[in-house]
Amino acid sequence: MTPYRLPAGGLIDRRTPLSFTFDGKPLTGFAGDSLASALLGNGRLLLGRSFKYHRPRGILTAGAAEPNALMTIGTGGRTEANTRATMQELYAGLEARSQSRWPSLAFDIGALNGLLSPFLGAGFYYKTFMWPAPLWEKLYEPFIRKAAGLGTASYTADPDTYEKCWAHCDLLVIGSGPAGLAAALTAGRAGARVILVEEHAAAGGMLLSETAQIDGKPAQDFVAQTMAELASLANVTMLLRTTAFGWYDGNVFGAIERVQKHVPVPLAARAVERLWRIVAKKALLATGAEERPLVFGGNDIPGVMMAGAMRTYLNRYGVAPGRQVAIFTTNDSGYALATDLEAHGIVPEIIVDSRADAAFPYQGKARVVTGAVVSDAAGGKALSSITVLRNGETETVAVDALAMAGGFSPIIHLACHRGAKPLWSDAQSAFLAPGNLVGLDLAGSVATTSGIAACFEDGARKAMALLDEISVHTTPAAPIAVEGDIVSPPARPLWTVPGVKGKAFVDFQNDVHRRDLDLAVQEGYGHVELAKRYTTNGMATDQGKLSNVNAIGLLAEARGVSPDDVGTTTFRPFYTPVSFGALAGASHGHDFQPVRRSPLHDWARRLGATFVETGLWYRSSFFPRPGETTWRESVDREVLNVRAHAGLCDVSMLGKIEICGRDAAEFLNRVYSNAFLKLPVGKARYGLMLREDGMIYDDGTTSRLSENHYFMTTTTAYAAGVMNHLEFCAQVLWPDLDVRLASSTDQWAQMAIAGPKARRILQTIVDADLSNDAFPFLAAREVSLFGGALHGRLFRISFSGELAYELAVPAGYGESVAEALMDAGALHGIQPYGVEALSVLRIEKGHVTHNEINGTATAGDLGFGKMVSATKPDFIGKAMVGRPGLVDPERAQLVGVRPLDPETSFRTGSHILALNAEATLENDQGYVTSSAYSPHIGSTIGLALVKRGASRHGETVTIWNGIRNEFTPGRLCDPVFFDPENEKLHV
Amino acid sequence: MSDFRLTQQAALKGCTRLVSRAIMLEALPEGHVIQVLGKPGDPHLTARLEAMSDGSPHAVRAAGPGQCFIVGDRTKTHAELADLSASLQPEAFGVDQSAGRVRIRAAGPMVEPMLAKGTAVDLSLSNFPVGHATTALIGHIAAHLTRTGDDTFEIMVLRGFAQSLWDDLARMSAEFLED
Repeated sequence: MTPYRLPAGGLIDRRTPLSFTFDGKPLTGFAGDSLASALLGNGRLLLGRSFKYHRPRGILTAGAAEPNALMTIGTGGRTEANTRATMQELYAGLEARSQSRWPSLAFDIGALNGLLSPFLGAGFYYKTFMWPAPLWEKLYEPFIRKAAGLGTASYTADPDTYEKCWAHCDLLVIGSGPAGLAAALTAGRAGARVILVEEHAAAGGMLLSETAQIDGKPAQDFVAQTMAELASLANVTMLLRTTAFGWYDGNVFGAIERVQKHVPVPLAARAVERLWRIVAKKALLATGAEERPLVFGGNDIPGVMMAGAMRTYLNRYGVAPGRQVAIFTTNDSGYALATDLEAHGIVPEIIVDSRADAAFPYQGKARVVTGAVVSDAAGGKALSSITVLRNGETETVAVDALAMAGGFSPIIHLACHRGAKPLWSDAQSAFLAPGNLVGLDLAGSVATTSGIAACFEDGARKAMALLDEISVHTTPAAPIAVEGDIVSPPARPLWTVPGVKGKAFVDFQNDVHRRDLDLAVQEGYGHVELAKRYTTNGMATDQGKLSNVNAIGLLAEARGVSPDDVGTTTFRPFYTPVSFGALAGASHGHDFQPVRRSPLHDWARRLGATFVETGLWYRSSFFPRPGETTWRESVDREVLNVRAHAGLCDVSMLGKIEICGRDAAEFLNRVYSNAFLKLPVGKARYGLMLREDGMIYDDGTTSRLSENHYFMTTTTAYAAGVMNHLEFCAQVLWPDLDVRLASSTDQWAQMAIAGPKARRILQTIVDADLSNDAFPFLAAREVSLFGGALHGRLFRISFSGELAYELAVPAGYGESVAEALMDAGALHGIQPYGVEALSVLRIEKGHVTHNEINGTATAGDLGFGKMVSATKPDFIGKAMVGRPGLVDPERAQLVGVRPLDPETSFRTGSHILALNAEATLENDQGYVTSSAYSPHIGSTIGLALVKRGASRHGETVTIWNGIRNEFTPGRLCDPVFFDPENEKLHV
Repeated sequence: MSDFRLTQQAALKGCTRLVSRAIMLEALPEGHVIQVLGKPGDPHLTARLEAMSDGSPHAVRAAGPGQCFIVGDRTKTHAELADLSASLQPEAFGVDQSAGRVRIRAAGPMVEPMLAKGTAVDLSLSNFPVGHATTALIGHIAAHLTRTGDDTFEIMVLRGFAQSLWDDLARMSAEFLED
């Protein structure tokens, strides 16, 4: 016999049939069905194979804890493995496929593992595949991975979009059963900002599976009426299909909303999943309780199901679990199922109550056997019978469905996500949330409250108390009158079922059975954390929602201690699996990260620039011309042209900081290691910034534009860091100084005009006299342009070693000014040049960047010893620059390096070895920090940090690239390769 | 170069207005944005700046301790900027950010849910009333938000990030643009 759809009843819409397929077979369900209920409604019991033994598996639950009915749904990029059939809403055209089987679900070769099961217990892999060791990675692990099985991810790109959202509320209510609804109503009516989160498509929680009457109406009508009222309140937000998966610092909750996982074709403009970060002033957990399985032989055979789930399929989905149903219970809840079954015309074959003293006033027709257990179940792909054990006597009962009612575990996971440990309660026979949680309380059955009316009252009362703490005064929702509710008080748990002969599964998803846990204890892995790793109990997608408590109980019995002594493993987010798509949100593809565009970006693009990512900036790398086949050709041309004529380079991305205030000069004097106090107005100065430990932090120029106004440039990479550093200095180190700071990086389009023709070109647009006398090296002033049509800032500074200027104009005019300079410079041979040529030019001049300022270099190392003032009373780094280690003559110092044979080359990162020294790291004397081909020198040139480098000019060395096994004979030299007298700079 | 035609390029020149009944996005004119660096705790700063602004609502916006922005749609001349800067000193300093900051207006009944996709700030009217301003992240991009109406915000962003932020806002608005 099989499960079947009842002719009437349930909350499904029987007027809206939906076609779907399972393993290619066409089936029909109804709107309102879950995939699980639709499959059961079609009589499908066998839905998957287990992870290790490939045992036939059916549906165990009706909710988030489902360990068995995992399937792959969707096609192409929308393929989603390990979807819980119990959580997936049915939609027209849904394609579901079973997993972990080959060649088919009914005939699975992997089931042979079951025959080998006596040898495949816990720890089998660890013990067996230890030798020979090399085979582990090459043979054993790939084989085991292939044989073991959850679903397979698609290799096709996901066509859908995901997003992240923030939300804020006074009260977050998680769960919409009676406690959650009462809390939301109480808070909503008081005007508080409420967010109600429900993981299913319909609110109501267990009320949707109830046959009780509330205020004279069916519970489902009460839910509908309550939800209608909540929907009418503008201050209440309801998030259905949303699972709260984590509780984080600051009372922030993570939640995942399945926005379009229930539709055949998602709308392109909407995300399919939305990850919420909910900032709650207060939160109430009304997540209910999870029913516990019972650990008897064959408890995993399709047809064995949780009793509460059976009620849900009956009452909510109109699906009967079978025609010959048995109930195995440890508490009164099993009788609620018996009553519901009988209401649908299915008289249970037997109710097996483990309590000898069971006193529930059952009035139904089923045979009740107390003080008994189901010791074993039989059947292959479907349940056929059970063995009932009572007083040492066994009885076989033919059944096609068996309900397990092993008591309840409050769903306290979120309450434990911030480090608090659950506490065992003997009175409640359950692990409970710790007390004194800040900002969070629990209500309803998660707080061990039993019964609909009591849960409702508890929700209202707890909401009131929480809101009172934030001065929102409420009136609790009026009590409700409930009829027909079977209230189940806690009962003694039944960890070890006696008389078991078959495999009694504790963790269904990981195929962990009772003997595995016994073995773990026997072999010294009885600690709960060790047992988890040894047996894999509580791992994978369900994280032990059903199994952990039974495993703890069994470990406790095996060790002869209380569950309290065993304790739980650590509760961590996520409560249920969250897709990588949702975690990534929109940050992929085009939106992976923001792009920072220079104001000259479009100008460079029009000139054919090839761009390179520099942090978030896109910088012009070089400007290829027709006929040039390699980047080197383009860069060589640009370098030669700058030195022969002129070039224009976009340097807008350099950091720019406005420094204002009466004490700005003193401030800079303390920030830089060299003197700044007396920098004249209209002049720029190269400055060196040290860290507190005496190493160089950053370099750049700072110009004095007026008495109390300075303009600092930083390296591109350190723009934000320097700004933060200056703010720290101003706000924390020297709050007594009158200094104000503002970043103006984006205000200015800044271009370097470099080369012997630079002055002539620039003079065509600058109104002021640019002669050497009027505007000498290191002059820095505001200038008018185009006859006063525009104003900018002009600095005579040079990174290339040429006669050079940097002109800054308001960013919106950048392109126009660059075009004007290119027009004016056409006669003088001006060409744009990119960051590659800029780099070659600076290496030729021995100018350093953060390749050399590597965090371990002192000013002395780089030849800037004179820039560390010996007379200033204080500056950042002063206290440490004299440390013996920082003035050790053996330190690596900046030096030039070139190959002995100009036809040979070397790479940045290569190491320096003394001539004829063996190529070992012990003989390493330093490394090449920067290198480039210099068209002026006619060979590769490099800068290097080498032991005693400054005193070794002329020494022959070996340049060694250990990764590529390259050895280049070279010579150390002065780091300034070009125009060492700086004659070109001052023309 | 007297014959050279100097032109100004808007950072969001290619971005056309996006509008539906639920949401509207538009790039605002690159007029003036003056970052005022005052002294933290100066009680008179905002009132002084109001007098220096063009008088339009919410022209002066808080931007941190002792700091404000003065914004407006009209471009200020070099002389006007110099006068403004002079009148601020010595109590405060003005930094012209007119070209460095780009303003975007986001409006409509769904503007709060749209912005909640990017920012952790609680933008509800009770928490973030009209006239309130703050600096916050929108996605990965820092921006300055001002509520200029019940359903209207102005977002000011570094010029270099303007296009990326516009793309982000357009994506965040997509579901609300389908009337």
